[in-house]
Amino acid sequence: MFFRVMDKSRLPDLVAGLQTDFEVIGPVAKGEKFVFATLQDPDDLRLDYDTTLLPPKKFFVPPTENLMKFETADNEVVSADVESSPRVLFGLHPCDINALMLMDNVFLGEYEDPYYKARRDSTLLVGVNCEPSPQCFCNSWGTDEVHWGFDIFLSDLGDRYFVSVRSVKGAELLDRFVETRDITETDTADLQRVTAEFKASFPRHVETSQLPLLLDAKFDDAVWDELGERCLSCGACSMVCPTCYCFDVKDKLSADGKTGERTRVWDSCMFSEFAEVAHGHNFRASSASRVKYRYYHKQWGYLSKFERVLCVGCGRCERACKADISPRVVIDALQKGAAVR
Amino acid sequence: MSTDVYKQLRANPYRPWPARITSITELTETEKLFEFRLIDEDVREAFDFDAGQFVEVSIFGVGEAPISISSAPSKQGFIELCVRRAGDVTSALHNKQCGDIVGLRGPFGRGFPFDEMKGHDVLLVAGGLGIAPLKSLINHIHDERHDFGRVTILLGAKNPGEILFRKQFDMWKHREDFDLIMTVDQPDDSWDGDVGLVTKLFDRLDVDATSTYGAICGPPVMYKYVIEEMRKKHMDADRIYVSFERRMKCGIGKCGHCGVGHQYACIDGPVFNYWEAMNLQEAI
Repeated sequence: MFFRVMDKSRLPDLVAGLQTDFEVIGPVAKGEKFVFATLQDPDDLRLDYDTTLLPPKKFFVPPTENLMKFETADNEVVSADVESSPRVLFGLHPCDINALMLMDNVFLGEYEDPYYKARRDSTLLVGVNCEPSPQCFCNSWGTDEVHWGFDIFLSDLGDRYFVSVRSVKGAELLDRFVETRDITETDTADLQRVTAEFKASFPRHVETSQLPLLLDAKFDDAVWDELGERCLSCGACSMVCPTCYCFDVKDKLSADGKTGERTRVWDSCMFSEFAEVAHGHNFRASSASRVKYRYYHKQWGYLSKFERVLCVGCGRCERACKADISPRVVIDALQKGAAVR
Repeated sequence: MSTDVYKQLRANPYRPWPARITSITELTETEKLFEFRLIDEDVREAFDFDAGQFVEVSIFGVGEAPISISSAPSKQGFIELCVRRAGDVTSALHNKQCGDIVGLRGPFGRGFPFDEMKGHDVLLVAGGLGIAPLKSLINHIHDERHDFGRVTILLGAKNPGEILFRKQFDMWKHREDFDLIMTVDQPDDSWDGDVGLVTKLFDRLDVDATSTYGAICGPPVMYKYVIEEMRKKHMDADRIYVSFERRMKCGIGKCGHCGVGHQYACIDGPVFNYWEAMNLQEAI
C-alpha cells in the first residue's frame, strides 16, 4: 500500500474527475438521514454522514434482479445476461468495506456468482474514516479498521486527507484527477492521533469472548424464547444488514404465459416460511428458533467456514428493529444469562 | 470433463440445462419415477455424480425443487429422479409427459462415501420416500457388488401401497447377495412381510460393528430411533450416514434456505455422518 496526502479543498476535484468516467455513488442526505445514491453534483456528497439506511450491498445484490429470461415452451433460457457498468462507491466506512469482503466469501468462493462478480469487478471502492454513532460496535469485531478491499481510503486529518492507495486503478485515478503530495512524519503522527481518538470514542464494547461456545452451550436457553416472543418476524434486521445475503428466487410470467423472468429477491431467515420444505414441514416454525438461527449462523455458522463472524457492528439492525433486538442485546444476554433490554 | 464444458457449466451455476423426459413410471399414487436425458451432449458427458447427491429440477414459470438422484452413477447418460407430488414444482413435473423438456442443475452436494464403504458390510435403512436417494447407493453397490461384504436393506413404509420400487424389491427378496427386509405399519390382506417400524427389525440383525457402514434416509422423525438401534449394535458414529432433506433452493451455498446447524445441507451435505450430525444443532 502506498500513501499520499490530499488537501481537503481538493475533494470536489477528485469526485468531479471520477464522474467523467464513472457513475459515482456516495452518501447523500435524505431528510434527516442518509442513503447511498448516484451523485448528481459533487457537493451533494456528505462524508460527514453517520450511517446509511441501507448498506451498499444493494449495488452488488439488488433487492430484486433478473437472473435470466426464459421461454416456457421448451423450458429454454433466452438470455442470462450479466449487467454491469463502471461505478465508484465513494465514502464507504470501514464496516461496510469489511462487510463486502464477507459477502465476497459467499459469492466469489465456490460456485462463483456471475452477477455479483460482474458488479464487483466494475465497481471501485473509496473508503473514508468515520466517527462512531451510539449504535456502532465495530470495535468489538475489529472491523473498525480496514486494510484491504478498497481502491482508495481517505482518513480525515482535519484540513487534509491521509490517502491510502490499494489498487493500481486507484493510484491511476488519484494521479489523474487530483493533486496530492508525499506523506510526512507529521501526517503519520496525526493519523495515529486521530485513530487513537476514534478508538477511545466508542460508546461501548460488546463482549464477544467464547461466542461460538456460548451459542452451543445455551442453545436451549430460555433467553431465546424471550427474544422469540419479542421478535416481530419482520425481517428488517436482514434487509438493513450489510452482510445478510439470503435470497429467494421467483419466476415471473408474462401475460400470455409464454415467456418470463427468473428473479432473485432479498429474503430473510426471520420470515416464517424460510425453512419450510415442500410438503409443509417447517424446520424453524417458531420465531424463537428463527432469531436463534440468525445469530447462530452469523456468529458461528459463517465463522466455522470463513474464520470471521458475519457481522461488522454497523448498528443498522439495532436502529431498524422495532422490538429492541440487536447483537448487543443478544450477545449480552448470552454472556450474562438473562435477556436484557 | 473437458475444460470448455466445465467453464460453461461453471460460468453461471444458476442456469438450468435442458433435459428431456425419456420415461415416466407411476410408482404409487403420489410418486413417479422420471428418467431424464440431458440434451446437450457435452453437458451430458460431463454430468458425473455420487450416490446421495441431488439436482435442482427447474420448470420455468414455476420454480425449482431439489431432488435426490435415484439412479446409480454407473448408469451413464440417464438420470432418474423419484418425485413425490408435494409442492408447485413437483406437481408441475407430475403433469409433464414423456418427451417434454425441463431444466436440470447439478449435481450438487456431498453424497455417500462410496469408495470408503468398499470392503465393508453395509446396512441401509429407508423409510418412505427416503429410499429415493438410497436407491442410487443400492444400485451402485449392486453394480460393484464384489467390492462389498454383507449388504442389508431395511425398508419401511406406511402401507404396502406406499412401498416405492416394490416390483424390484419383491424380486430382490430372494437374492442371496442382498438381505432385504420390508415392513409396513398398516398391512393389507396381501401383505406377507413384516409389520411395524423398521427399528423393530434390528433385533434379528447380526451386525459386525467393526466393519459396517450405515446409511439412513427417511422422514425427519425416523433418524433418531434408527441411529439409536445402530449405536446399540456398536456401530461407529462416523460410519453411520444420514441424508437430510432441507429447502435447498440454490444448491450452491448462497440463498441460505437449507441451513442446518452451522452448515448448509446443499454444499456441506445433504449426506452427513452421525458424528457430524450430532454436532449440527436441530439436525436430528
